[in-house]
Amino acid sequence: MKDKLTVMMLSWEYPPRVIGGISPHIYFLSKHLAKQDVKVYVVTCDFPGAPAHEVIDDVEIYRIDSYKNPSPDFATWVYLMNMNMQRETAALTRKIADKIDVFHAHDWLVANAGIGLKHVFRKPLLVTMHSTELGRRDGLHSATEKMIHETEAWLTYEAWKVICCSDYMISHVKYAYGLPSDKLVMVPNGVNIYNYYVNGDFREFRSKFALPEEKIVLFVGRLVYEKGIHVLINAVPKILSKVNAKFIIVGSGYMKEQLLNIVRSMGLEHKVLFEGFMDEPTLLKLQQVADVSVVPSLFEPFGIVALEAMAARSPVVASDTGGLSEIIEHDVTGVKVYPNNPDSLAWGISKVLLDANYARYIKENAYRRVQEKYDWEKIAKQTKSIYEGVLGEYHKSFWAKAT
Amino acid sequence: MRAIIFSWEYPPRVVGQLSGYISAMSTQLAQNKVEVNIVTYDDSATGQTTEPSGVKTFRVANPVRNHIGVLTWVLTLNQEIERAAADIYYESNKQVDLIDVHDWHFIPAAVTLKNGLGIPFIFSVESLEDQRSPNANASYNMAIKSIEWLGFYEAKRISVKSEWMKDEVNRIYKVPKEKITVISTDPSVWIEEILKLYGSMAEAEE
Repeated sequence: MKDKLTVMMLSWEYPPRVIGGISPHIYFLSKHLAKQDVKVYVVTCDFPGAPAHEVIDDVEIYRIDSYKNPSPDFATWVYLMNMNMQRETAALTRKIADKIDVFHAHDWLVANAGIGLKHVFRKPLLVTMHSTELGRRDGLHSATEKMIHETEAWLTYEAWKVICCSDYMISHVKYAYGLPSDKLVMVPNGVNIYNYYVNGDFREFRSKFALPEEKIVLFVGRLVYEKGIHVLINAVPKILSKVNAKFIIVGSGYMKEQLLNIVRSMGLEHKVLFEGFMDEPTLLKLQQVADVSVVPSLFEPFGIVALEAMAARSPVVASDTGGLSEIIEHDVTGVKVYPNNPDSLAWGISKVLLDANYARYIKENAYRRVQEKYDWEKIAKQTKSIYEGVLGEYHKSFWAKAT
Repeated sequence: MRAIIFSWEYPPRVVGQLSGYISAMSTQLAQNKVEVNIVTYDDSATGQTTEPSGVKTFRVANPVRNHIGVLTWVLTLNQEIERAAADIYYESNKQVDLIDVHDWHFIPAAVTLKNGLGIPFIFSVESLEDQRSPNANASYNMAIKSIEWLGFYEAKRISVKSEWMKDEVNRIYKVPKEKITVISTDPSVWIEEILKLYGSMAEAEE
């Protein structure tokens, strides 16, 4: 075995292309793996203005042609994009001086590419399942959803190990695809606390969003069903009956129009602001001035947004579900409320807004917890040892002898 | 010489005339000292068999059963085609001279194998999307055309069955005519021409 472990990471998003949580995950994981002396290549979709090849923090980034002809629908585009990703990654793997030791795919969005490359180069494939179709849709209701679910099952079948970011996801993935326990490994998601250290006077910044007498309630996430944003909207009048507040919604999604209509019909347009997608520096400042961060998800494999709020020292109210249940310790590092229950959510938010001492207590505890448990350096070390374990098994296999 | 042939139909699966054509061609190739490996689709009779003629067949099924269209079905099936071909490659000490791909279905697999393992391929054209669905420019047809285009671009040689088709490939996809070989339908010279085409694949790229 050569001295430096080399991994080819496959992901449909990497900064500046940011669609969900996978993009920052790949960024931090790759960067910290590089610090652990792992050579990392990231192959990802292209993005306007971003170069086809660059080196960021010792990580080699390759952006592929993500298939720009018209596609009949999103799922078909994913498979067509995978066709291109495989073609370019195969050429790259053949060309580069480093021998790739493992392929590491993230979610079904790169399933075909990961599986194909595994067999073409006879190298082990690792998969991180960030989410599942079964969880996102709360069941499988259409041919598209069944197809995506089966693609996920196929990907986990082909993988040497399946990494999940919470104990909840381990049991969910095990049940969803009928996987054996010894194939699953838990590695939490991480957060870089230094990113969240912002100092300064934010009074003027705050005044752009709320009146001085209004508390700020912050939601960050895609405006989709699984994120439970509609539960927060339904809780707004209940909270306003107890405390004067402004609700700031960051993110966009297919539910936006519907949510706007509900807010309009309640006559609360002046209390609920839809900010759309927000750049990171502005969001960091907003987290500083927010009096509470709300994560009302119905399904949440991990809940990175809660961790980010904790790192930004914003008190968190989250639904007691999925990965959030493990991140938040009730009354210690945050407030847990019943999922899909506007009354319970209103209770939790009001409690934090009305009791400043309690809010300070949970946010300081939360900050310490993030430092201890969700540190990228620790996560990269764990991931590296998974790679090494898999390679140890691989080298005893007939594949290693034949290639 | 060791060749792998990709076709989405091969007996007992018969969709159109391609199935019979591949069957007759592979039998004759085997008689002319070509080791023929057919990689094809079958819904249930999966696995490897060797026919009395010596032709080896590898049948794979789609790993994903629910689909929303021909495109998603084809694109997931390609991974299994690719796996079967990679297995042939490694089990024959990496000695595969060429892949002969019939129609667009398994072009993506051939393209990955070419780029990853350096196995050159022939794109053998039975028909084109532009002829099957004239003037259809829905995104579905465009995607198939883009796969055909990729095949013409990445293929080392293109084989067609008539001068007319040679003109069509040149007209629709602007493929230089020098890259296209017309295989005669005359039974007395047919297999000679295919053997000559296969033999030319070993020649170095210019």
